[in-house]
Amino acid sequence: MKLTRALRVLAGLGLAGTLAMGSGWAAAQSAAPAAPKIGASLIGKLEGPEIVRDAKAFPKTFKEAPALAAQVKAGKLPAVDKRLPEPSQLFVVKPLREVGKYGGNWRRAFTGPADHENGNRINSADKILTFDYTGTKIAPSLARDWKISDDGKTITIYLRKGAKWSDGKPFTANDFIFWYEDIYLNKNIVPTPFFEFQIDGKDGTMRKIDDYTVAFEFPEPYAFFVYQLAGSTAIGAGLATRGAFQNWGGAYAPAHYLKQFLPKYSSEDAVNKKAKELGFDNWVSLLRNRYSWALNPELPVMTPWKTVSPINSPTWSMERNPYFWAVDTAGNQLPYIDRITMTLAENTEVANLRAIAGEYDIQERHMHLSKLPVFLENAKRGNYTVRLDPGLNGADVALHVGNSYEGDPEMMTLLRNRDFRRALALGIDRDQLNEAFWLGVGTAGNIAPSPDTIFSPGAEWNKKWGVLDIKQANELLDKIGLTKKDSEGYRQRLDGKGRLRVEMVTVGGQFVPYTQVAEMIKQQWRKIGVDVDIKELERNLAFMRDNNNENQIITWANDGSEMLFLFPRHAIPVDAAESHMGMAFARWYASKGASGKKPDDPELLRAFDLFRASFGAKEEDRIRNGKEIWKILVDNVYSIGTVGQSPAFMGVRLVKNNMGNVPERQVNAQHVRTPFSSQPITFYFK
Amino acid sequence: MVSYIVRRLLLAALTVLAISVLSFIIIHLPPGDYVTSYISSMSASGSAVSEGEAAALREQLGLDKPITVQYMKWMVLMMQGNFGMAMEWGRPVSDVIGDRLLLTVVISVAAIIFTWAIALPIGIYSAVYRYSFLDYVFTFVGFVGLAIPGFLLALIVMYVGFAWFGANVGGLFSPDYIEAEWSWAKVWDLTKHLPIPAVVLGVSGTAQLIRIMRSNLLDELRKPYVTTARARGLPEYRVILRYPVRVALNPFVSTIGYLLPYVVSGSIIVSLVLSLPTVGPLLLKALIAQDMFLAGTIVLLLGVLTVIGTFISDLLLMWVDPRIRLGRQ
Repeated sequence: MKLTRALRVLAGLGLAGTLAMGSGWAAAQSAAPAAPKIGASLIGKLEGPEIVRDAKAFPKTFKEAPALAAQVKAGKLPAVDKRLPEPSQLFVVKPLREVGKYGGNWRRAFTGPADHENGNRINSADKILTFDYTGTKIAPSLARDWKISDDGKTITIYLRKGAKWSDGKPFTANDFIFWYEDIYLNKNIVPTPFFEFQIDGKDGTMRKIDDYTVAFEFPEPYAFFVYQLAGSTAIGAGLATRGAFQNWGGAYAPAHYLKQFLPKYSSEDAVNKKAKELGFDNWVSLLRNRYSWALNPELPVMTPWKTVSPINSPTWSMERNPYFWAVDTAGNQLPYIDRITMTLAENTEVANLRAIAGEYDIQERHMHLSKLPVFLENAKRGNYTVRLDPGLNGADVALHVGNSYEGDPEMMTLLRNRDFRRALALGIDRDQLNEAFWLGVGTAGNIAPSPDTIFSPGAEWNKKWGVLDIKQANELLDKIGLTKKDSEGYRQRLDGKGRLRVEMVTVGGQFVPYTQVAEMIKQQWRKIGVDVDIKELERNLAFMRDNNNENQIITWANDGSEMLFLFPRHAIPVDAAESHMGMAFARWYASKGASGKKPDDPELLRAFDLFRASFGAKEEDRIRNGKEIWKILVDNVYSIGTVGQSPAFMGVRLVKNNMGNVPERQVNAQHVRTPFSSQPITFYFK
Repeated sequence: MVSYIVRRLLLAALTVLAISVLSFIIIHLPPGDYVTSYISSMSASGSAVSEGEAAALREQLGLDKPITVQYMKWMVLMMQGNFGMAMEWGRPVSDVIGDRLLLTVVISVAAIIFTWAIALPIGIYSAVYRYSFLDYVFTFVGFVGLAIPGFLLALIVMYVGFAWFGANVGGLFSPDYIEAEWSWAKVWDLTKHLPIPAVVLGVSGTAQLIRIMRSNLLDELRKPYVTTARARGLPEYRVILRYPVRVALNPFVSTIGYLLPYVVSGSIIVSLVLSLPTVGPLLLKALIAQDMFLAGTIVLLLGVLTVIGTFISDLLLMWVDPRIRLGRQ
């Protein structure tokens, strides 16, 4: 008994296959004996804490963590009501189940300095605006309220009077203006403007109305800017979203602390000298380091927890911010949990094994869906519960077609033929994929997002060109003229150069076992007579081939695409930083025709026009455009969807049984920065 | 003798320079740079880098300049004793490597001690009692040890440790001690965690060494001077240890050169599987992230150590083996 369990666990661990061979065949291995729908019962009710917005319901008296109370008593810290914003300006959260208890150390895994999103996503409360726990409605966060002017050109945000930085200094509109004038407009620091802070290529500006009111102004209507402030973007980020590493996100920054690193407030020589002394090339490198909450424990922050031991050490640990500006409905200053300690796992297999051993309190990042049977088997011993949080995006494995592929002329023609793409899409048996790799918990279909999302064109659109239909697929291929077959039944190329082979690029070692899924699709496409060459490449190389329009098909997720306008890059080729379904077209769109290549496809051009028009449009028009764009994308199959809306992407959550206020199911999406949408400040140890 | 050493030193300096150029070129060979790798890693972890941010990063890190300019910048920095910034880590390269160097050396030395302590006696025993029952047992175990890849053994040992002994999974410290200051308690905690990585890292080396020791010694034992020594009535242990074993040790001395870089880098895959905070995983991650300063410095460091190690083993051989010393003159 013990031995079989050991073997099964080893199979689940992938025998370092992900490391040594760069693949995750473990999924296929452990899926075989698993009963179908093993995980469906683990998907609970979507729930989360409410943000209280009616000031009349706000608490009037306040309590604090015992550790802070002791410091107040010792005279090291002002009293709690002096640290919080004015009572009418508080951020008040109604915890999911009950008022919690103070204390505890939340243990988690992280995989090194590149894993900053791990902590960012917990600590995202310093975003200017956010979404509620359903992920559909914009909600206040750092700013207590916002307003869009009637002409849509001005977006005003209202700050919380009396809010303070983690070092006790007041937080005001001056911190916004400092960021705008001294960071954002300084070309040495930010050479290219943020596209979110532009409408149709024209820059927005920022203006201080009074100490607690800031206006973002645009030359053209830009109502969508509110979503940019709420989403996972650079402009609405706060220091813990993009400011964590290598980025200058924020729209605000602690002026009183950062001025010492800027030449404007001393001299270029002085700041460069300081940088050299600390081992940095120049003052911008030093500023980059000092600007990061994850790297620099001295940085004043507005987040619930602040870094104690930085992310580039063996543990990334955080402790509560005594000035954090939120309370629960009983007036307890949040967060409840004292500390967060993330220990380094050099690889995710070790993180998974440690999770099985019960070494983490709540962990959803780096947990592999393929190990679900092992997680369940050890749940009692590890004293945890397994929760699944399905994503909202249509495809956890999408076959992104290189619509602007340049290379083999015959493949160029075929890939730009809608019927060819549709035939490939109809040749996939998605239910088989779902059972084998998603343990039956995913949803088979095309690339369209969950019908519950704002821009979904309706449930009937989730299956279009997203079902198995060998007969129609063969008819489509015959119609193109691919009628000649060889002795093995594979179709021949039209130019007489032998068998038709589609090249499919996969990437190993990811959340989803792309290569294994591709292998199964290769088998399925035998029935429509299409042969596949699967090439597993290192991630960066695969992306570089995207940039050079060299990939015929690449397998990648379309996560984030449910919020089409916030994160379009996995749905439509408009972002020149990353585009899997046609980089030349993306460059053409992003540069307004100055570079890249104009698509010939009128449908894609129509989608581009709708997309561009949506940022200034009123909300209802934008939603209508979004639905229309999805219809175009689905009908023209620029990417082929397989299985999605699954927990494969950071949706397998292990929660220790002594954790309180943790939802049964949370929204798993990029724009809500899961698990932040569940307000981790209200989690507590029972 | 002195001119020989001077010549070798000059050659070594040239080799190191060549290594630095080569390592820089090799790191640049794959398409893309740190920023493209950063974009793809963000995409894989459910986040994003915008085009403007990518441009800013590229300019800041000097990645938009030609490779020769980047190389010269690195060289100039190194002349000043600065190895550049580790891009992913946001810290000077020397700090990032320095943090991990001590533990890497501790683990590697433990593994080497384990290897030698086991392999040498067994090798000698196997040679002296050739075809005995225990020789067969050791031979069998040795071949199994050679055949099992280190990372597989690491996984099995880790699981067994976790399932049957409740040991911490991976790492070198209990969670409580990772951040603690050095103290006797922390050293003791390290000592408790050391055997697993040391054994896993040492096993394949041990198997190899047993075979080498056995066959070398067998060659020597057949030689007439051994028979003569026996005939003159020397005790058996002296007959064997005095000369044949010393001669059989020659190949070990000549491989010391390769031990030095090993001590510093450790085994990459095994360290990764066991989640050891050593230089090996650091190098792998730096290469994947195309962090050229960090990867370049580690590769250069390994190159320099190989050069030094080879030099030392040449000197040692001259000292240990009179035949080499006298043959040269």
